[in-house]
Amino acid sequence: MTSKGKINKQDVAKLLSEWGKEFTVFVPSQDAGVATWARWDGKDTSFLEWYRNTIVPPKAIFLPPVEEMFSFKKDKASYQIELPASDEKTPLIFGIRPCDAKALAIIDMTFKDVYEDPYYLSKRNNTILIGLGCTNPYDSCFCTSLYDGPSDVSDVDLMLTDIGDEFLVEEVTEKGKELMAKTSLAEEATEADEVRAKEAKEAAYNKVTRQLDTKDIEEKLLANFDDKDYWEKVAAKCISCGVCTFLCPTCYCFDINDELIRNQGGRLRSWDSCAFPLYTKMPMENPRLEKWRRVRQKVCHKYGFYPMNFDIIACTGCGRCIRLCPVNWDITQALASLPVRAQA
Amino acid sequence: MTATHISHRSKFLAEGNVYLPHIAVIDKIIDETYDTKTFHLNFKDDKLRGEFTFNSGQFALFSVFGIGEAPFVISSSPTRSDHLEITVRRVGRLTNALHRLGVGAEVGFRGPYGNGFPLDLLNGKNLVFVGGGIGLTPLRSLIWNVVDNRDKYGNIDIIYGARSPADLCLKYDLEAWNEDETVNMVTTVDKGDEDWAGRVGFVPAVLEQVAPSAINAVAIVCGPPIMIRFTFPVLGKLGFSPEQILTTLEKRMKCGIGKCGRCNIGNIYVCRDGPVFSYAQIKDFISSEY
Repeated sequence: MTSKGKINKQDVAKLLSEWGKEFTVFVPSQDAGVATWARWDGKDTSFLEWYRNTIVPPKAIFLPPVEEMFSFKKDKASYQIELPASDEKTPLIFGIRPCDAKALAIIDMTFKDVYEDPYYLSKRNNTILIGLGCTNPYDSCFCTSLYDGPSDVSDVDLMLTDIGDEFLVEEVTEKGKELMAKTSLAEEATEADEVRAKEAKEAAYNKVTRQLDTKDIEEKLLANFDDKDYWEKVAAKCISCGVCTFLCPTCYCFDINDELIRNQGGRLRSWDSCAFPLYTKMPMENPRLEKWRRVRQKVCHKYGFYPMNFDIIACTGCGRCIRLCPVNWDITQALASLPVRAQA
Repeated sequence: MTATHISHRSKFLAEGNVYLPHIAVIDKIIDETYDTKTFHLNFKDDKLRGEFTFNSGQFALFSVFGIGEAPFVISSSPTRSDHLEITVRRVGRLTNALHRLGVGAEVGFRGPYGNGFPLDLLNGKNLVFVGGGIGLTPLRSLIWNVVDNRDKYGNIDIIYGARSPADLCLKYDLEAWNEDETVNMVTTVDKGDEDWAGRVGFVPAVLEQVAPSAINAVAIVCGPPIMIRFTFPVLGKLGFSPEQILTTLEKRMKCGIGKCGRCNIGNIYVCRDGPVFSYAQIKDFISSEY
């Protein structure tokens, strides 16, 4: 049984200030009307009022949309390479939703695979995740089809549940326990608090009504991999804008490009997307020039190839790709319409 | 195939950072054809120069600072390790930039990546090399490798073709292998010109005429996808099983280490799991996007 405490919402600013001495605290933030993650400014906790989930997922903290890998300078005929300065404090993410915490655990696998990715892992290693259970999921959410849903604690250090004026705090990991031991702002939770938390969790779980049948999904997809008619139908309205991949918490594909002005420049890594034909373009040919092949890649990567390579579906049911798609493309509908075939 | 089975990993990371390039200097440039050059490179760091090793068939990410990076197979043989060679056809932004560089220019290097050819499996076998155009470059590293260890292998047949006599790469190597009595070198072109006295015909058709035996043999194929697709059935007719056929695949790559996403064929990443595959493996791929 995890020990439980509670934090008054009025004290969140004080708590974040305490943590800010040791960590770089990230909180939900508005950037020109787009909900994203930003370093906490030391006072504003208004996100507690508006935050449901961010549009930009927290992967952006570890894999920024654009990041300088190193800079270089040409001196006569020689190049000098310099690494960027790194943030010495460990990141602490306050309020991450269970779906997005799980997404980080999923993409960690790729960034640790064979070669460690120093840019991602230097920020990600030892990161503290303070989860905030969803009490108001969107109608596009389908997390309960993929794991324990809006209150799942498996990928966070502490899990907070909104019980009115307070957050009930569950200590999930040793790191989480240490954090709570250090603060004097926590009170012991009463039995009534725990009952309220339990009710909030159940209510949240039941609010997630969208369902995706993931049973044998990998086998079903592979059985239909060469069904061009199905993929063309599924891909028909997609406009290849890439939004569903850029804003997907488990999409990690990137591009690497150089910039150079006079004799100084840098190598930049930036988000890329399998939705774009250029992503796979070679000088003489392109294996995924046709749109249906790119849509097939996206769907099969998440529900087929990733499970084959890492034993986990690379989707957390966060619903961003459904609610942010400009043409209402819906992955749950696409997968539900997979033709049923006799298994070979 | 799961990620944890990968045993080949570059030991030559700059400052432990897999994305940081080493600096290599261009020592020599050879004009191969109207659009192809071979670059001889040496690491600037003496220690790395002494320690560096790779397998035939492995590739690396080469960069022109300010333009970008691209993967090229190392076309020299590890048996001739005083420098590295890459043979580059001018087809895009990065290759154009490389072609504009002169002797003494610095380029970035990170690698070697990928698996390379399985030398253990080739030991004691008759080898049939089938190459087309610039696809000779990965074969070339292996051919010099086996020629330099000649007693370890049986017969060596090389069937190499290009679109025209002007497109034949590495002519000095073709000549050397032609003069080597222990090697059966067959050169062909799709279309000859007035000076061409050699064979004319597509590589798969010429392979069928030459008809090397499949007994105790391995065929190693590299060339444009269209050539590869027509070569597999011919090898099948000659009695080669899918396990006896190796090829090396090419894809657009950015990271070279299985992270950036784009070089996949189904769940296979060409950079991480290849680029060398047997035809038996390829036939089992979920996707035919190769």
